[in-house]
Amino acid sequence: MEFHISRADWEKFLGQILRTYRIYAPQEVANDLAYQVLVPENVDRTIYGTYRAVQPLKTFFSLPQEKVTEVAPQPEKTIVLGVKNCDLKAISVMDKIFLEGEFVDPFYEMRRDKNLIVSSDCYQPKDTCFCALLDNNPFPEGGFDINLSPMDNDFLLEVGSSKGEGFIAPIREDLKEATSDLMENREKKRKEAKERVVEINKEFRTQKPFPSIVKEEYASSEWEEAAKTCVECGACTNICPSCYCFLLVDTKDGGEFPKVKFWDSCQHTGFARVAAGINPRAKLYERLRNRYLCKYEYRPENFGIVACTGCGRCVEACQGKIDKREVIKKLEEKSS
Amino acid sequence: MNHEFIKNPYLPVEAKVEKIIDETPNIKTFVLKPSQKIKFETGQFIQLTIPAIGEAPFTPSSSPSQTEKIELTVMKAGLLTGKLHETREGETVGVRGPYGRGYPFDDFYNKEVLILGGGVGMAPLRSLLLSLLEDVDKFRRIVLCYGARTPEDIVYKYAFPEWQKKKKLEILRSVDKAAPGWNETEGLVTVLLDKIEINLKNSVAVVCGPPIMMKFGTLKLMDLGYQPENIYLSMEKNMSCGLGKCGHCALGKYYVCKDGPVFRYDMIKDVPDIWL
Repeated sequence: MEFHISRADWEKFLGQILRTYRIYAPQEVANDLAYQVLVPENVDRTIYGTYRAVQPLKTFFSLPQEKVTEVAPQPEKTIVLGVKNCDLKAISVMDKIFLEGEFVDPFYEMRRDKNLIVSSDCYQPKDTCFCALLDNNPFPEGGFDINLSPMDNDFLLEVGSSKGEGFIAPIREDLKEATSDLMENREKKRKEAKERVVEINKEFRTQKPFPSIVKEEYASSEWEEAAKTCVECGACTNICPSCYCFLLVDTKDGGEFPKVKFWDSCQHTGFARVAAGINPRAKLYERLRNRYLCKYEYRPENFGIVACTGCGRCVEACQGKIDKREVIKKLEEKSS
Repeated sequence: MNHEFIKNPYLPVEAKVEKIIDETPNIKTFVLKPSQKIKFETGQFIQLTIPAIGEAPFTPSSSPSQTEKIELTVMKAGLLTGKLHETREGETVGVRGPYGRGYPFDDFYNKEVLILGGGVGMAPLRSLLLSLLEDVDKFRRIVLCYGARTPEDIVYKYAFPEWQKKKKLEILRSVDKAAPGWNETEGLVTVLLDKIEINLKNSVAVVCGPPIMMKFGTLKLMDLGYQPENIYLSMEKNMSCGLGKCGHCALGKYYVCKDGPVFRYDMIKDVPDIWL
């Protein structure tokens, strides 16, 4: 069942619950969107219907730095608003890594459990967005608790889970059933949004899908070309919503010896180096190529999900101005 | 979620260093007594922590049937192993595990098992050998081809005389560079493969040693007629979590800590650059 709620009612609801939950909302900061903690004064500054916030969704579940030898006290209940589909798809890779298999990361699990995801459609992409090139849509189709589709002064509200169902129970009376007009309007806006992303990426259209090109062009000379401007800053891996690699570090803290888990980057020289000094990816272009393979070949082989979801954050963040779409297009061009 | 008991896979248990055996100038065997029994399968590894210094993976060289203690044979190669070599009997380290996939014994039953070991690579192979000997009727024959750089660099020197007495076990040894008193083969361990006769139709080969030795050992085994499905390799990579999550030990789409460290060669032969 799809609902329809006025923006005013939705914001009134947020105002009522922002003492029970720590709510993060995308708001304008320095000409971009960044998650801000909601307080009564800024509830109405939240921007729902445009592109993703700067911070990837993973930041809330896999912290940049965390002590893992003691189970911390219960994390607080959190809500993240305005999550876009690119982040939803990417977090499913993180979920598979941290929650599946023989061992579960209890820290990630607790934070994920205590969190509610309110996603939104994305009607205004950035120049760097390319979800459509990977057959992803700029609107959520699953993986959320609640999805909001902005329409003028209202939202179309879709419940995506039982957690979401429980969440909106207090405001059930303010929710009207969505009319077919509204549903059609949403379909129209979604179609236009996708067309916009396709239009933005005209010059990067390839004949084969990105994953096939990366897989087939392992031996291409383009990898070395692409890596020429890389400075190994690790911005791409930090800001990527599906990069999960970390380092466990043994530290000393007074009389304690905690293990601390830090975000790590496969782009750094020593990532795969062993004690005897052998390094399977000693050259920078080998590490760059490996990252593309990880996203477009290895993770799909493990999980059936292409780990790059086209959010474009790495394109924006790269200090060496490396544009993934350009690299892959050149890989295909050089091949023929 | 049950919050009363949260399993934390990052947390090690304490282990006492009971005994230290000097194997060679740069290799020692550490006999550890973990405060909680760690039940492992041959070929699996544990993560050893030296508080405040770091953690690294080691495959026990003792038999899994020895339940109270775990033996690790470690070469001094870097920061952590350097510090480990400085520990004294009675001191405490941390261990967690076991992790990974060990040797698939079911695939070895009724076969001739050829073990090809180099240097400190004999560590997991000793655990394998002991397990095979404990159940020796299940295997047609065991052949151990072991090579080291010099006679001084041979590990478990004290064990070989006892092993030589075992029926169904044939041992050939080589050193790259002989010394006075050495009356066995001189040459790379791969030359030993020319000296044995194996029924290829009914044999498996298990290889462990330095990467370059594993590469040439595997290629030679293929030359002799072994199929990739019958060659078992212990792959090594830099590890951090040991749980299949941190990404450091990636070998193509596999994580060595989770999908290995024991790999059948046909699984990994098409991964680029596996011998690095």
